Amino acid sequence: MIGLVLFGLFVALMVIGTPIGVAMGLAAAAAIALSNLDTLWFGLLAIPQNFYASLGKYPLLALPMFVLVGTIFERSGVASRLVNLAIAILGRGPGVLPVVAILVAMLLGGISGSGPATAAAVGGVMLVAMSRAGYPKPFSASVIGASAAIDILIPPSIALIVYSILVPGASVPAMFAAGLLPGLLFGVALMVPAFLLARKHRMGDAEATLPRPAFWPSLREASWGLAAPVLILGGMRAGLFTPTEAAVVAVFYGLFVGMFIYRTIGMRDLFAIFRDAGELSAIILIVVALAGIFAYALSTLSLIDPITAAITGSGLGEYGVLALLLLLLIAVGMVLDGVSIFLIFVPLLMPIALFYEWDLVWFGVMLTIMVAIGQFTPPIAVNLMVSCRIANVRIEETTRWVLWFLLAAGMVLLALVIFPALATWMPTVLDY
Amino acid sequence: MVTQMTEPDSQPISDNDPKTKPRIPLAIEDYLSAGAMAALALMTFANVLVRYFTDQSFAWTEELSIFLMIVLALVAGSGAFAKQHHIRIEFFVQRCKAHNQRRLNQAVTLLSALMFAILAVLSARLVWDDIQYGDISPGIGVPQWWYSIWLPALASVITLRLLGLWVRLGDRS
Repeated sequence: MIGLVLFGLFVALMVIGTPIGVAMGLAAAAAIALSNLDTLWFGLLAIPQNFYASLGKYPLLALPMFVLVGTIFERSGVASRLVNLAIAILGRGPGVLPVVAILVAMLLGGISGSGPATAAAVGGVMLVAMSRAGYPKPFSASVIGASAAIDILIPPSIALIVYSILVPGASVPAMFAAGLLPGLLFGVALMVPAFLLARKHRMGDAEATLPRPAFWPSLREASWGLAAPVLILGGMRAGLFTPTEAAVVAVFYGLFVGMFIYRTIGMRDLFAIFRDAGELSAIILIVVALAGIFAYALSTLSLIDPITAAITGSGLGEYGVLALLLLLLIAVGMVLDGVSIFLIFVPLLMPIALFYEWDLVWFGVMLTIMVAIGQFTPPIAVNLMVSCRIANVRIEETTRWVLWFLLAAGMVLLALVIFPALATWMPTVLDY
Repeated sequence: MVTQMTEPDSQPISDNDPKTKPRIPLAIEDYLSAGAMAALALMTFANVLVRYFTDQSFAWTEELSIFLMIVLALVAGSGAFAKQHHIRIEFFVQRCKAHNQRRLNQAVTLLSALMFAILAVLSARLVWDDIQYGDISPGIGVPQWWYSIWLPALASVITLRLLGLWVRLGDRS
C-alpha cells in the first residue's frame, strides 16, 4: 500500500513535469509520513538528514569538478582541432567524415563527462562540414546523436561517478577502467554502419574533393586537447591523483590551454564558465540529494525485498531479467538522463544483481550501455534531440539511419553479456 | 552526461522576458554560484599542490569543500529553479493544450515550493539540535550549526524563488 503511494506518486509527479528530484522527494515524504503516523514529526526528520548525507560525501566532489572540465573544454575550441587532426590522419573520401565525427566524440568523451554537451560540441563543428560534403542532414544528426551517447561510457563519466557513489565496492577508478574498453568497442561498432551506410547510399561523394589538412600542424594544434584524457586517466592510473584531483588538474590545464594557447577563453568568459558549470552541477546535485531521501524510503519501508522476490521468482531466469532490464532502461533512457536513471533504479536493482551474483562493476557498465542506447532511440531521445536541433531536422527523419546504429549498439551489449571480461578485465589488471 | 530536458525554444520563462523576470535579480545567484565553483576548484587544486610539495595534506579542507559543494547545490539550484532549468520530463506536458500546460506548470512550481518549504522547516529543527547539544564539526572543530544553518536558510530562499515564479506564472494568464 505504502509502496503504491511511493511509486504511484513519483510516476504521477514525473509525468506532469515535476523536476525529477522534487518528484522523488515528495513521493518519499508522503510514504515516510504515512508509515510513521504515530511518530514525532511523522519520522520526517529523516528528510533533511538524508538530504545532507547524500551530498556530504567527499568522492562526490569529483562531479562538479568534471562538469567544470567539460564546460571549459567545450568552449576551448578543442573539438574543431581534433576534427582537423582526424581528417589529416584518415584522409578524404566518401564515408570518412562520419567516422571522424564518432572518433572525435570518443576523444571528447575522454575529457568531458556529458553526452548532450558532446553532441553540441561535435554537432557544431561536424554538421556543417558533413552537409558541405554532401551527407544528408538526418544522417549526420543520427551519427552525432549516437556517438555522443558513448560519452557516459568512456571515462571520465559523470554517470559512472554517480553509480560508484551508489554502489559500495565499485570505486570510481574501477568504474572508469571498466568503461574504457566497452566505450571504445561501442565507438568502433558505430563506425561500421556509419561507413557502410555512407558507401552504400553514395553519400559524401563530394568529400573526396575537399582539401586535406596537413598532418603535422594539425597534430601540433590538437595535441593540447589530446593530452587532456592522458592527463586525467594517466594521472589516476599512476596513482598521482584521486578522481577529484585529476579533474581539478584538468580544470587548470584546460583553462591554461583555452586562455594562453588557443586564446579562445577570455577573462570575460571565465565568469560564464564558472556560472554555467555551477548551475549544471547544482542541477545534478539537487537530484542526488533528493534521491537520497527516496532511497531511504525504499530501504526503510522494506519495499525493495518484495520487488526483488517478485522478479527473481518470476521464472524469467538471469537472461530474461537482463532482457527485461534492457527494455526498461532503454524506455526511461529516452526521456531521462543517465544520472537520474541511476539514482532512481540502482537502489532497486542492486538486490537483483546480488541475487544473481552479477559482478557489480560489470553490471554498472551494462546499465550504462542500456541507458546510452536509450539516449539515441527515437522518437524522444535526449542526444538526438540536441543533434537534430542543431541540424534543423525532425527526429522522425533520422529513424531509418538510427536503427542501424541501435543494432550496432545492441551487438556491443550482447558481446558484454557473452564476454563479461570486456568490462571486468581492465579493473582487474589495473588492480582497482 | 546530464542535460536539461527542456528545449530552449519551448521554455515558458526566458531570462530576458521583462514580464517574467524576477524582481530580485538572478545575478545574485549567478555570482554566488560562480564564486562557489571557483572557490571549490581553487581549494581542491591548492590541496593537490600542498600535498605534492610538502607531503602534508590538509585534510581539514575536506569539510570546507563538502560544505561549499552543498552551498553550491542550493544557491545555483535556486537560480536554476527560477529559470526552470531543472531536469524534468517535458514529453507528456508538451502534448497538452496550451492553457493546461500553463496550469500544470503552476502546479508543479507550487509542489516544488512545498518540497523546499518542508526541507526548510525540518532542517531548522535539526539545526536547533546542533545548537542545543553544542555539536562540534569533526574536521575543523567549529560549532556544527555554522554549517547546518545554511540548509534551512537556503532552502527558504529556494522556496521564495519558487513562490515568486508561481506568482509570475499566474500573472501572465
